Amino acid sequence: MSKSIRQRIAEEMTGAALPFVAFCIALNLTAGQITAALKIPLYLDSIGTILVAVLIGPWSAVICGSAANLLAAALGNPSMIFFIPVVAVIGAFTGFLARLGWFRKWYLVALGGLLQGILAAAASAPISAYLFSGVMMAGTDFLVLYFRSVGNTLLNSVLYQGLTSDPADKLVSYLIVFFLTKNLPLRLVSRLRGASNLRTPDRPS
Amino acid sequence: MSARQNLPPKLAFVAFLWVCAFTLPWTIQAFLCLLLVLGRFTIPALRPGSSRAARAFSRFILYSIAVATLVSLLNAVLIREGAIVGNIFGISLHQEGLLFGARTASRLLLLSFSILLFFVSTPLPDFIQYLQEKGLPPYLALLLLLTLHFLDQLPNRIHQIFLAQQARGAPVDSGMISRTKALFSILSPLVLSSIVESIERGTALELRGFLHRPQASQPVEQGRSHTYWLTVLVLSLAIVILSYSIVKWLIG
Amino acid sequence: MEIPGGTCCAILGPTGAGKTSLLHCLSGIMRRHHPGAVSSGHLQIGERSFDELPAQILFPTVGLTLQDPHVQISSVRDTVFGEVLFTLENTGTVPENPTDVILPLLRNLGIDLLADRKPTSLSGGETQRVALATILIAQPPVLLLDEPATALDMAAQQKLRGILRSMKGKTTIVVTDTQLDFALGVCDQIVVLKEGAILFDGRPAAFLRRMQDFATALPLESWNHLKPELDEMLDDPSTRGSRITRALAIT
Repeated sequence: MSKSIRQRIAEEMTGAALPFVAFCIALNLTAGQITAALKIPLYLDSIGTILVAVLIGPWSAVICGSAANLLAAALGNPSMIFFIPVVAVIGAFTGFLARLGWFRKWYLVALGGLLQGILAAAASAPISAYLFSGVMMAGTDFLVLYFRSVGNTLLNSVLYQGLTSDPADKLVSYLIVFFLTKNLPLRLVSRLRGASNLRTPDRPS
Repeated sequence: MSARQNLPPKLAFVAFLWVCAFTLPWTIQAFLCLLLVLGRFTIPALRPGSSRAARAFSRFILYSIAVATLVSLLNAVLIREGAIVGNIFGISLHQEGLLFGARTASRLLLLSFSILLFFVSTPLPDFIQYLQEKGLPPYLALLLLLTLHFLDQLPNRIHQIFLAQQARGAPVDSGMISRTKALFSILSPLVLSSIVESIERGTALELRGFLHRPQASQPVEQGRSHTYWLTVLVLSLAIVILSYSIVKWLIG
Repeated sequence: MEIPGGTCCAILGPTGAGKTSLLHCLSGIMRRHHPGAVSSGHLQIGERSFDELPAQILFPTVGLTLQDPHVQISSVRDTVFGEVLFTLENTGTVPENPTDVILPLLRNLGIDLLADRKPTSLSGGETQRVALATILIAQPPVLLLDEPATALDMAAQQKLRGILRSMKGKTTIVVTDTQLDFALGVCDQIVVLKEGAILFDGRPAAFLRRMQDFATALPLESWNHLKPELDEMLDDPSTRGSRITRALAIT
């Protein structure tokens, strides 16, 4: 890790940021409990990462996503460890979109979510294909097998499977975070460094 | 060997198994998987740290064997190459698909078992402290430890908020759109309260001097212990296998 | 306002008076978390002098315990002993045998039997004392306590008063509270704040003389009972003050 990136992470992770990132890592791992209780077919396994990206910054989001996958592997889902690069990309991309102000308008959020989903599918496809031959021990494995059975290569099959679910999932996650952060008091958000990502002239402070 | 002393050879062993997962024939990988399962019961360093961890590992073994069998069979059905090696309910199983499925399954199982066995036999706080001694910044170590604390608390907090929202009439049992709205009535207070708590916790950490915490120093080793030589041996074996595979691949 | 070294000063006032803000100014939190905060005046803590609010947290020179002791506990250590050790690790002052330093402190606070207990499993009073231990282990010359008596029962308050009394002479203590009872049992000086203004600054006896009429008419149990009389005092121009702009000197 180069010193400048290390310094940037250390700068972001001060004060309230550190406990909030810890909370968001835990949220990534337990959000499924909420969707299961409400019987909503969503994963929300990166909602914490997106929250950190918007409210703190891209480097903290990279740490959040990576730590969540590491802990998920430690707590019973070992294949998650290999997708750390994918969640790091999700965190960094979302953080930079937030810095550009994309989380101030819902249509930019929606577009960002779709782009994020495509990026996530593209980033995870090689890992899934070459390390696991497309088998992730999940229901989506059948989709990969179907794409293979109709003549696609392994890599393309995994990519197509990712593109059927990731953009929609990330779009919904992005919109959820947008509406969650929309009404947060800026005086609280500013303690997490995220005020400039959300501030608009008409937002209450 | 203490739990902390175990860590370097265990990590080396995981690295060795990963090398095997990508270089050795699937039959040897399957054999290694079997050895790992037996090792969980026989090698003290690989024994789960708690009964909960032991149950999690056992559940995962059964689940992964079921998935591996399913994957092999499905590939045998869908990849119609090679000789037909069998029939299930009139559906032909093809040799190439079966082999591909077996290779995939054995690699997946070996990778998964190695990681899972490492973590069920290593308490996470010990692992985090080891990483800190090896150079992990203090704030990242604290981040991981604090996450474990929140992981304990969060399910109960979510449940309390769910009950509270249900009691005030949130549509948790209605149609999909209403339930999606109810999602916000749970996430909003959860996120808001976590921001407030984070501000207080962050302040408390700074008030205890955490900002200027010095990096943890590595404990002074009294000579080279046998765990050091074990680590070196295992890593050397991994390097030999990897080098052999690369040379074999280059030669063609 | 001046607080002599080794004494205990109680800052009293209703909610919103500025008691916590004052402690945050003294500990260095205020400017760190609100860089745009406007201030004027002069602050002297021992040899250190500030013409603006301190930009850094002044720990371990100034130790501060927060209103909620549960938040003060880091939650990353499995035992009370480990929790106190965490502070020493932060300051880089871990002795060769930490037990020799930590156990006597826990004994003084009456929580040595809790050394191996999980910090999150303790009662309110026990948590308050553990939170105090995590700050005291660094031996700060100035100790600030933000409403330490809230959520403590009478027995726990009594215990805490005894601990603070034993610390006087070596440590300068500033305690905030909304209630009179706890403070009167331990302080050498009382400062009354209301909406950022100092209404009273003096010895407890002088405070009680002015409050004598109320003291005989009302039990000294709750600040809210005395509110109407204090509002009368505020109407008296001679007691009015501006927001905290007076010279503060703590020696």
